[in-house]
Amino acid sequence: MSQFFDTIFKPEFVFAIIRITSPILFAALASVIAEKAGVVNIGLEGTMMISALFGTLISFWTQSWLIGVLGALVVGILLGAMMGFFALRLRTNIILVGIALNILGSGGTVFLLYLFTGMRGNTSSLSSPNILIPTWNIPLLKDIPVVGAMFSGHAVLTYVAFILVFVVWFLLYKTSLGLNIRAVGENSNAARSVGISVQRIQYIALMLSGALSGLGGAFMSMYYSQSWNTGIVAGRGFIALAAQAMGRGEPVGTMFSSLLFGTAQALETRVSGIQGVSSYLVASIPYVVTILGLVLYMLSAKRKVRRLHQKLKNRQDAEQRT
Amino acid sequence: MYKRRMLGFSLIRGLAAILLALAVAAVFIFLATDEPFHALQQLLIGPVVSFGEDGASFNVQSFYQILAAMIPTIFTALGVCVMFSANQFNLGGEGGAMAGGFVAALVAIYLPMAAGLHPVVSVLIGAVAAGLITLIPGVLKVSVGASEMVSSLMLNYVVMYVVLHFLNYEFADRSKGATQTHAFLPTAKIAQMVRGGSRLTYGFIAAIAVALLIGIFMYRTRWGYQIRMIGINQNFATYSGMKVTSVILLSQFMGGLLAGTGGAIEVLGRYNTFLWKELPGFGWTGITIAILARNNPVAVPFAAFFIAYLNKGCLLMNTNSDIPSEMISIIQASIFLFFAAEQFLAGLRQRIVVKNARDELAQAQAAAAASEEG
Repeated sequence: MSQFFDTIFKPEFVFAIIRITSPILFAALASVIAEKAGVVNIGLEGTMMISALFGTLISFWTQSWLIGVLGALVVGILLGAMMGFFALRLRTNIILVGIALNILGSGGTVFLLYLFTGMRGNTSSLSSPNILIPTWNIPLLKDIPVVGAMFSGHAVLTYVAFILVFVVWFLLYKTSLGLNIRAVGENSNAARSVGISVQRIQYIALMLSGALSGLGGAFMSMYYSQSWNTGIVAGRGFIALAAQAMGRGEPVGTMFSSLLFGTAQALETRVSGIQGVSSYLVASIPYVVTILGLVLYMLSAKRKVRRLHQKLKNRQDAEQRT
Repeated sequence: MYKRRMLGFSLIRGLAAILLALAVAAVFIFLATDEPFHALQQLLIGPVVSFGEDGASFNVQSFYQILAAMIPTIFTALGVCVMFSANQFNLGGEGGAMAGGFVAALVAIYLPMAAGLHPVVSVLIGAVAAGLITLIPGVLKVSVGASEMVSSLMLNYVVMYVVLHFLNYEFADRSKGATQTHAFLPTAKIAQMVRGGSRLTYGFIAAIAVALLIGIFMYRTRWGYQIRMIGINQNFATYSGMKVTSVILLSQFMGGLLAGTGGAIEVLGRYNTFLWKELPGFGWTGITIAILARNNPVAVPFAAFFIAYLNKGCLLMNTNSDIPSEMISIIQASIFLFFAAEQFLAGLRQRIVVKNARDELAQAQAAAAASEEG
């Protein structure tokens, strides 16, 4: 047990949390934007799988990690547009569109990989260091003890993920597009009545959502696992949905709940090394934490509403008395 | 007349969606292989026709295998019908099937019973365990409003890891090289219906019977009506005095019960020991089937046959040509997208509505003219 605490109270542990949180954060931000526009994007998982595959393939073909990441981004946008086409234009239930995308992500990717390369199941033979996302040692910061070991030396995309929290916040609250997105999500009829094209806004939101989860996919295959395989995303797209719900759909809150799930996963890797602990039960920790987190959040939200009602009632009573 | 035209329309639309999905598959097949026609032949007629030296003949064993493959997915699809009908997107069928299979396996191994009784009791206990699991997202939804979709997705993973934990650490048969439980007691096996290795058990009869029962339940009983009404308009259901909470919970429990039955029958019918190491995938296939059946339980066996047929075709393509069997995912996803699309072929529907209105108008005018003359 002491050995367990030794590994936790080390800067490496914080480093691991940040690394593990990044893909969840990308997908959770993707969910934030979609949810704000009033569409449920349950296809994050599949989008991540497919763009992870194309990230690897494109970076291999071009021998450039940057083009690979951009390719994954574009694939994510295209998948978002596809979701929009089916959900908004052909009026397929958005949840079903998402499930279809996830089916494509789990099996279709194997087929696509075979179609493009003749390989089955994984791309480990394509991998080489020059097409992986590079890490960045931040000047000055890297020399500070402890802090440097925690925050320096991450993949470039990790920094992008955390910067995107504020970009998404800015987009949603400081731009007219963000205002439109929120208006559509809040009350699409009201938005339509003031001349906002609801369909256009939801298309844009789904494409932005696809772009963000595309980056999450690229992070998985081009840095985290170093190559693509069929189990690479492992429910992160679903955990992201929970992170979004727990973060009340706000970018900063979602960042914190993503960090919570990242911590649970980091703990999992630490605990599973200890003798006598079932690796399977430990592996279920992040998912259990997700359910508990969701319930606790909903409980607190409910209590808050009740308290507001009580306050309102008290005030009305007071007014009646005077 | 109008009703008949609309029925014709939905048939045409369904067929068009399926053909479109197969066309998408064909495009990919042409891209992926040098002998596309051979692959297509394997996919479309390979499952029931075998080509020997003396020409083509009906392959009975292969047909039985398709029927056998339908068994678990009919149950999971029925579960999805019940759960989705209440407008609850509970995706726990996957975990339910695994839990049902595992619990039934334990009963089959450790609780000796009479031969006729044993499989029935094993399946029922497994089913109840699964029902309790899919009940959790329902309880969380109605009590605190947590999204049943998210919690059921998470729950699937939890179920998988818990089952793997018990499989590996508590119930593993250490004398075997692979991770598996001890063998089921012979009394617990579900009997085969036909000779040969098709694994077509009496579970198939049970599946068809349950499909009919669930059809009656959903369309001919008070509870089924309430479930569907809550799905269509929950506010209406609440204001008309239905016990919305308990009906939703009932539907979620039943969904898990059905999924668990499917998993349990599959395990006891197909294997001699429990050896699943990941989620079986029946839950997701069940959703595709339920969509094809438009949540109508009686249509589920037909949709299940269609999917099992295609699945078999994809497996054949995998062995006899160079197309990976994962092709089925692309076909399934395409069916999903087009079949569930409300606006797919909306133009045609519009024309039917307009034509019908014109006909009615003409009839009314003719009647008016007739009455004036008279």
